Formats: sequence, structure tokens, C-alpha cells
Amino acid sequence: MSEQATTGLRRFGARALPHAFILPPIAYLCLFMFWPLARQMWMSLTDAKLATPNEGQFVGLANYARLVETPAFYASLKVTLVYATSAVVLGVTLGVISAFAINRPFRGRAVVRAVLLFGWAVPNVAAALIWLWMFNERSGVLNQILTGVGLSRLRWLTSIDWAMPSILMVTIWQVAPFVMLVVLAALQSVPDEVREAARVDGADPLNVFRAVTWPHILPAVQLAGLLVAVWSIRRFDIIYLLTGGGPLGSTSTLVVRIRQTAFEAHELGMASAYGAVGLVLALLIAAIHQLVDRRRARWMADR
Amino acid sequence: MMLTRRSLVSAFAFAGLTSTVPAAYAQAQKAPVTLVIANSQWLDALRGKNLWAALVKYQQVAPHVTLKQEAIPSADFNDKITTALGAGQGPDIAIMQEGLFYSIADAGFLVEVEKAVEGVKLNGTNDKGIVKGKRFGIAWQRAVYALIYNNKLLEAAGAAVPTDIDGLIAAAKAVQSKSGAIGFSSRHQMADFSGWFMDFQNWAFGYGVNWVDGAGKLTLNTPEAVAAVAAFKKVYDAGVIPVGDDMPTQRMRFKQRQVGFSIDNSGGTLNIASGGPLSSTDLRATPLPFKNPGAHQQIFIGISRHSKNQAEAAAFLTWLAGPDGQQALREASGPDALATDLPVTESFRATNPWADVFAELAVNSRSTLIPGYEIKTAPIMRLVMEALEKVIVAGANPKTALDEAQKQALARF
Repeated sequence: MSEQATTGLRRFGARALPHAFILPPIAYLCLFMFWPLARQMWMSLTDAKLATPNEGQFVGLANYARLVETPAFYASLKVTLVYATSAVVLGVTLGVISAFAINRPFRGRAVVRAVLLFGWAVPNVAAALIWLWMFNERSGVLNQILTGVGLSRLRWLTSIDWAMPSILMVTIWQVAPFVMLVVLAALQSVPDEVREAARVDGADPLNVFRAVTWPHILPAVQLAGLLVAVWSIRRFDIIYLLTGGGPLGSTSTLVVRIRQTAFEAHELGMASAYGAVGLVLALLIAAIHQLVDRRRARWMADR
Repeated sequence: MMLTRRSLVSAFAFAGLTSTVPAAYAQAQKAPVTLVIANSQWLDALRGKNLWAALVKYQQVAPHVTLKQEAIPSADFNDKITTALGAGQGPDIAIMQEGLFYSIADAGFLVEVEKAVEGVKLNGTNDKGIVKGKRFGIAWQRAVYALIYNNKLLEAAGAAVPTDIDGLIAAAKAVQSKSGAIGFSSRHQMADFSGWFMDFQNWAFGYGVNWVDGAGKLTLNTPEAVAAVAAFKKVYDAGVIPVGDDMPTQRMRFKQRQVGFSIDNSGGTLNIASGGPLSSTDLRATPLPFKNPGAHQQIFIGISRHSKNQAEAAAFLTWLAGPDGQQALREASGPDALATDLPVTESFRATNPWADVFAELAVNSRSTLIPGYEIKTAPIMRLVMEALEKVIVAGANPKTALDEAQKQALARF
């Protein structure tokens, strides 16, 4: 083989190698994400039934038209937005505070960190069952504490006023440790010399936080917020096991409605339309995140 | 040649051998087959083990067949079987509630089994195994509902066995105040929807509800339905129900002697009576505290169209519906009615004094499915249960809530 040919082959190899590396993840995504997603979008345009998913007839936008005429859809949408927003705000705030709390060394830090991480480590179903017992009106530990301090028992999961806060309590118990971990990693990568330089320049602790620490950890906080938001839109197990969407639909998110539509009414086409709305919501949040991230990068560059 | 006793015995033994050996030989020569049987009951603490022990007796009759359990929790059973069959997979045989049976038979996922039970004297529990004129299933068990109670707690409270709602509330309150136990256990929240709507059919049927009129039109807001909803609210408001407890927890508490009354089916009652501190002889059953008969949960057994061993599965069904299979099942089924008329055993009756009441109630009990809307019963009943939830949780007027459910039902079904 001539030297020219060998060089050409090497060049081709060098060019092809990155593509070869990226091929398996692309194949994986196509097979397990894009294809099912495309199937779901197609199904939302058909009258497919659960028992005969491949025999649905094309009905155009009929499922979507029915969706927008259903009051329950708007109720579910509202519940989803309230749930996701609250989970993000409370989960991220608590996670950031926890990260700051355990950032500096203190006695028993390892134990505190392990305790705080417990919620993240427990599988969702197990967590839901543990909390189900804790919320029990008659024998749950939460009501025993309330009665112990002279307060009356609460119907944690069966009253309209308390079901959503109870679900949020479990959700935040699960997501805040994740946020804490992400923010803690970012906090520990803030260079000490930059902080020191700010202090030398006369900055008080609040200004050090505002000018040095916060801009450094902001991307991590944003990413954690995005993930918590998307997970909250998709979360099913905790909500379904604790309340089944009740009472009176006060915890019936879009995902719970999908389950009811697909597995009780057997309307797979309609359930896919609900799923498509959830997908649009998640994409919308990702787009907002992208926009905010770009603005932040521009702002940082301008400083 | 003289016919001695020994020669006669030898002759009969030889004749017996010549008739049985080829059959056994033929059985042994058959290719090995594994039949997968799906059932949520396999997970029941004691009953699951006993039922399985009854079925595996078939392996003695057909040594080439191996029976294999597919245990699916009851909460996931319908979803899993429907999706598996929809994808062309799933077990060879499924044992399922009649709601699921109807929907998968209607979708064409079950094979006809009329020939498998030819000549068998099937009783009335099999009537709904016929869909669109063809038999797709035979009755596995029929679990009828009754009012059950802990007799010791009732006696200690000095209360009478209730015959109506007011009596039930009074007796439950008496038990509660005397012993600190729960007065009355019942499903009461949407998280338990699939079981709750079937339980509530007892209240509905008890007040004379049909859910359809004479012309077959859905009628969810009849005066009878309003009365049933109002009666449930009355009991709910009496403070005798452990609000927030799911049914497994409530049954566990009953087992632990912490509950006075419950409306439960015979299968659930057998569970409560087995393997716990509550002695089966302290458990009693009485007719439901309503004017009209209540409901039953009908369980069918059917063969999947996707099974590669349909002939073997049919042979298994033939054995199950026959005297040996029914006898084996009888011993493991407690008081439940079976596909053929085989009374509860004397030994079971002696140790379970509540069993006879269930047998009597099974004569007039009704299916939980809505006639003419069998496949759509669950989504229709969701509207009813949402109305009931509005009444008990938000204090809505029963008539107004059911009028709204009726409006939605007419728009959707």
C-alpha cells in the first residue's frame, strides 16, 4: 500500500472514529426514546385501545379536540403546574440551604450528610409506603406527634386541603438531597483564592456570596431546578400510591390522568394525547432553562 | 382348569395392568409441556399456597405437564395481563376478575373452551363466561359479600347484630367505645378505586340500584342511587371508619382483633380468618344491612389465544372442571362457590361458622358489572365514585353530585 493511501486511510479513521463512538448512544436513543416517542405521537392521532394497540384508526386531532373540551384536563394541568412549581421552589431552596449547611467541616458532618441523603437513596415505592404509614390518621407517627403536643389529628391524604402539601412533603424529602449533592459539588469547586481576594478587597460575607459563590454555583442550581421540574411533571409512583389522584382530583396530575385513561378507560389514543401535552410542558421548561442559561452566560461575559 | 382365588386376583390384576399401562405409557411419551397460570391469588398468604397445592395435583394425572405460577399483585393484574396479551405475549392460562375477563374476551384474546367442559354440569356461576354467544371461560370462584363481625367484640359491647344502617352505626359505635377497636372497616378513598367501586356495588344493589333503566340506558342518578350514596355518607360521617387506611391494612387490623364490622367478600373473609390471632370461630357473617341482595366478585379462568399449548391448557381445564379438580379446588377455596355445585366440606363448616351465610347469599347476589356496559363498567363507576367522593369529602349534595355524573356519563358512553 502506498504511503498516500495509508495516510488517507488514517485520515478517514480519525474522522470516522468519533462517529463510531457516538453511534451506540444514538442507536440507544433512537431505539428506546425517539421510536417510542414517535409511536406515542402517532397513537395520539388514532383511536387505539389498550387491548389492541396496533389496530387504532387514524382520527386526526379528534383526541386533542376532546381533550380541550374536558374540564378534568384543565384541572390536571393546573395540579401538575402547582405540584411541579412547588417541588422546584421548595426542593431547590431546601437543597441549596442544606448544601451550605454541610459545606463547612463540623463534628458529625458525615452522619448528617448520610441522614440528609437518605430520602434520595430510598426507592420511590418504598418511600411512598413508609410515608403512607406515617400519614395514617389513626396510628401514623405524624398524628401521634400532633396529638402529643395537644393539636388535633390531620387527614393528611384524605382532605382536599392537606393532600397536595403531604405529597409535596414526600417529594421534597426525596429531591432536596439530590439538589444538595449537586450544589455541594459546585460549592466545593469554588476557588478559595477568589473568595480570599474578595475578602481582601473588603467584601463582607454577604457580598462574597453575591459576587463569588452564587455566580459560581448558579449553573448547578439551574440544572438541578430543570431536572426537578421535569421529574415532577413525570412523577407517578409517589402520587398514585399515596392518593391515587384524590381526594376530588386535588392531586391528579397529567400522569395520573394518563394512567386512568389508558388502563381504566382503555383509551390508549386519548392517553397518548395527554402524554403529548406532558411532553410539550417538559420541552417548554427545557427551552426556558436554555434561554435563562444563555442570558446568564452573556451577562457573565459582559461583566 | 380350576379357578382359585389367587388365579382370579392375578387375572384381574393383569386385566387392570393391560388397561392402565398403555395409558400411562402414552402419557409418559408425550412431550413435556409447561403451562403458565397467572393469578393474583398466588400472593395471598395462606390461600395462595393452598390453591396452588390443589392445582399441582394435575401433574399426577398428566406427568408430562409442569404447572408454573405467574404471580401478579391484584392492583397490577388487569394492566399487566391486558398489555401482555395486547403485545401477543402473556401466560397460557389466566385467572381473573370478570371485568378483565369480559374486556379480553371481547378483544379476542381468549379461546373458546366449550369443548373442554363438554358434559360437565356447570352451575349458574358460569353464565357470564359466555361472551357474544361463545364460552371463553369457566368459573374459578365466586366470592360473595356479607357483613362480617368479630363476635367477641360484639358481645363485649352488648350490641345486637345489625340489620340496617342505623343498627350498623349503633353497633360499630358501641364496639368502638367499649373496646377502642375500629367500628367498621370499608374502602373509602380513590387510591383504592378498583376495589372500592366493587364494594360500593353492595350499597347500590342493596338500595335497589341497577345503573341502567328498562331500555338499557345508563341511569346513575336514580332516587335509589341517591339513597345509597347518602347511606354511605351517613356511615362515613359517624366516625366509625378508619379514614386513610387502605384495605390490606384494614384486613390486617381485623385479623389482629382490632375491628368490629366489615363488608367483605368470602375470599377476603377467608384471608382474615386464616393465620392470624383472630380465631375463625370468633368470626361471624350475616346478610348485608340492606333491603336487597348485594354483589359478588366473579373470577373466571380462561386460555390465552397466544398460548402455544392450547390443547394442553384445554385438557387442564377439563380436569379442573371435573370431579377431581373441583374436589381439590373445593378444599382450598373456603366458602367460595365453584364452577360445579360442590358444597363446602363439613370440616370447613365446623371450624368456620361464618361459611354457611356466604353460601346462602350467593344464591341471589349480583355481578358488579353493569349490564350492557360490562367493558365500560370501570370508567362509568369512576364517575359514580367521584360523585360519592364529592359527597363524603366535600359535603356535596348526593343528588347534585349524581346528576353531574349522569351528565358526564351520557356525554361519554
